[in-house]
Amino acid sequence: MDLRNLSGYEINMLYSQGCTADDWGAILVPRDFDTERLRNVHFSGDNILGSFRKKVLLSGGLEMPSGIYHSHIHNCSFGNDVYLNGVGLIANYDVEHDVIIENVLTLATEGMSSFGNGIDIEILNEAGGRKVKIYDRLSSQIAYFLAFYRHKTPFISGLEKMIDDRVKARTFETGRIKKFSRVTNCGKIKNVFIGEFSEIDGALKLVNGSVLSSEENPALIGAGVEAVDFIAQAGSRIENSAILNRCFVGQGVHVGRQYSAQDSAFFANSEAFHGEGCSVFAGPYTVTHHKSTLLIAGFFSFFNAGSATNQSNHMYRLGPVHQGVLERGVKTGSFSYLIWPSRIGAFTALLGKHFNNFDSSDFPFSYISEEDGKSILTPAMNLFSAGTKRDTMKWPLRDRRKGNGKLDLINFDAFSPYTVGRMLNAAAILQDMYRKTPKEEKTVPYKGIEINRLMLRTSARYYEMGVKVFMGQCLVEQIEKTGAKVLDELNTAEAFTGSEVMEVWNDIAGLLAPVSEVNRLVDAVSFGEINRIEILEDKLKLIWQSYQENKWQWCLRLIKKRCALSRENLTPGYLAGLIRDWRTEAVKLNNMILKDAMREFDEISKIGYGIDGSMDEDFLAVRGSCEENSFIGQLKEENAQIEERALKALSILESHIESVHA
Amino acid sequence: MERNEVELRVKKVIAEVLEMDQSKIQPEANFIFDLGADSMQSLMLVAGLEEEFNIRMDEDKALEIQSVLGAVDYVGSILAEKEHAK
Repeated sequence: MDLRNLSGYEINMLYSQGCTADDWGAILVPRDFDTERLRNVHFSGDNILGSFRKKVLLSGGLEMPSGIYHSHIHNCSFGNDVYLNGVGLIANYDVEHDVIIENVLTLATEGMSSFGNGIDIEILNEAGGRKVKIYDRLSSQIAYFLAFYRHKTPFISGLEKMIDDRVKARTFETGRIKKFSRVTNCGKIKNVFIGEFSEIDGALKLVNGSVLSSEENPALIGAGVEAVDFIAQAGSRIENSAILNRCFVGQGVHVGRQYSAQDSAFFANSEAFHGEGCSVFAGPYTVTHHKSTLLIAGFFSFFNAGSATNQSNHMYRLGPVHQGVLERGVKTGSFSYLIWPSRIGAFTALLGKHFNNFDSSDFPFSYISEEDGKSILTPAMNLFSAGTKRDTMKWPLRDRRKGNGKLDLINFDAFSPYTVGRMLNAAAILQDMYRKTPKEEKTVPYKGIEINRLMLRTSARYYEMGVKVFMGQCLVEQIEKTGAKVLDELNTAEAFTGSEVMEVWNDIAGLLAPVSEVNRLVDAVSFGEINRIEILEDKLKLIWQSYQENKWQWCLRLIKKRCALSRENLTPGYLAGLIRDWRTEAVKLNNMILKDAMREFDEISKIGYGIDGSMDEDFLAVRGSCEENSFIGQLKEENAQIEERALKALSILESHIESVHA
Repeated sequence: MERNEVELRVKKVIAEVLEMDQSKIQPEANFIFDLGADSMQSLMLVAGLEEEFNIRMDEDKALEIQSVLGAVDYVGSILAEKEHAK
C-alpha cells in the first residue's frame, strides 16, 4: 500500500471530529484516505489506516459506512473497509480488510505471544505425565501419540521439537485479526489470534488463544464464553457461557450451554454441553449433552455419555493419578459410574454403577451391566443393537468439516481388522473358558469383570458371525473391484498352515491402522527422518488412504489362515462358500438388529401414549409406523443389496470356474 | 422327548435365567410383558435352552419367540428334526 502522513488540513478535520493523537506524525494513511470516516478516535503509538469506501452490514440489517468511531487505537494496522465502533482499546493488532469490531472493551496483544500455541495440557492423567502440547494444526492422531507414546522417549522428543518449531513460527508481538471476521459485544480479549470469517459475539473473556477459521468452516465464539489458553479450530462453535481453561477445540466441535472444561481436548465433531470435562481426551465424535455428566481423566471416541455419567480417578492415596480408556463407540447409560483405572472394549454399552476396576477390551460389541453390585459382561450382545448400527450409519453423515483441510483422520467402519481381530481373540477366549468352567458355576471372572457362563459358548458364536460377515463383505468388495483376480491374489502368496498370527491393528483416535505401519512412522520420527510436522501429517494421511488396501490384505491373510489349506485348495468353490456364509450371516445379523429396532414399536413403547384418546392412534401420529421408519427401511434395503451383491459375486466366480474348465 | 418334559425343562431354564419361581411361569406367558425379560436375558434364554437340550437354535428365529409355549414348540421342533436325522 502506498502510504503517507496526514496533512495539516486532515489533522484539523480529524480534530474537529473529536479525534486526538499522542503523535499525529505516527499515523500513516493511504493516498485516498477520507477523514470523514473517523470520529472520536484516540491514537497512540504507531498506526496505519486503510481506505474506507464500502458500507458494512450490521445486526438488524443496519448499513453503516466503514470507518473508525469512538475507539482508542494503539500500535495497529488496518486493511481497507474495516468498521470499528465503541472499542475501548485495540492495541498491537494487524487488522485485515473488511473486519468489523464493535462494542469491545479491550482487544490487545501484550508482549510476545504464541496465541495458545504450545500450551501443555495435562490430558488423561490429571496429575500429569501425558502432557499434550496444543497447536493450531493438532490432530487427534498427533494428540494420541503425545498422550499415549510417552514411553517412546526419542519419538516424543522428536514430535515435541517439530511442534515447538511450528509454535515458534506463530509467536509474535502483534496479533492478527484476519479478513471478514467480526468481533462484537465482547469484554476482554487478550493475545488472541482471530481467523478469517470467524465471529466472536458476546464473549466475556478470551485470553491467549487462537480462533482458526475459514470461509468454508467459519468458527464462532458466542455469548458469555470465557476461554483461557485455548485453540479453537475451524468450524468450531463455543458459545452460551462455556468456560474453557487449557483446552483444544477441534474442527466441527460444538461446546456450549455452560459446559466447563479444563486440560481437555475435543476432536472432530465432538459435542460438549451442560456438563464438565477434566483432563479429557475426547476423540472424534465424543458426545456429552447432559447436566451432571462429568468426564474425567479418560480417553473417549465415538462416545455417547448418558446423563449423569461419572467416573472417579482418585483413590485417596497418591492423588488423582488414574485414567480410563473407553475404546471407540462406547455408550454409557444414565447415572453410569466407573472407577478408574478401567478399560472398556469398543462399541460396548455400559449400564449401572461399577465399583471395581476391570478391563473388557478383549470383548468388543458387549454389554456391561451391574447386578447386585457385580459388574457383568455380556460379550457380543451389542452386535445386535439397533443403536450401534444406527450410530455407525450416522457418523459419516454428521461430519461437519467441509473441504479438504480435515485434520483428524477418521475411518468409520465398525467391522475392521481392529475390531474383527478382537472378535477372533474373544471367540477363542470364550470357547476356552467354556471348556474349563464347570456347569455349576453361574459366572466366570475375567480381568475384573464377570461373564455369565451360559453366554460363553453363545457369545463365541456371535463373534464368529461377525467374523464371517467381515470376511464375506471384504471378499465381495474385492470381487466387485477386481473380479476373479481375487483368486490370483489368494494363490500367489505363500501357503498358510493356520497357525499364523494376525497382525494387530490400533485405533489411533479415529485412524485404524496396522501396528507395523504406525511403528514405522514412530521410528522415522525417532531417528529424525521425519523432522517437520507437515511431513508427519502427510505420512499419517498415506496410512489413512491405504486403509481399504490394508484391510483387504489383512482379510486375505485371515481367509488363508482360516482355511489353513495349501494354495491349491483355495478354490473358487471355497470362496463361494465364504460369500454364501456372508449372505446368510449378514442378513441374519441385520434381522436381529431389525428385531431390536422393532421393539421401539411394541406395546411397551406405547406406554404413556393416548392418555386422552387412542393409544395406537396417538403413537402412530407421533412416532409413525414401523414400516415407515427410515432406519428399518434402510436395513431392509441393505438386506436386499446383500442378496444382490452376493449373487453377482457368485456369478463372477462361477464364470471363472466355467472358463477354466472350458 | 415328550412335550410335557420339554415344557418342564424349558420352564426350568426360564426360572434359572430370570431368577423366578418355576411354578409361577404360565405356558402362555409373554417373555417381555409378563416375565420382564430384557434383551440380554433373551439371549441368555437362547443359550440356556441350547445347553439344556443340547441343540443349536437359529438366533434370528429364536428371538422371534414371544411366549413360553412358543419356546416349547420351537425346542420341540428342533428335537424332532434331530430325532428324524438320526
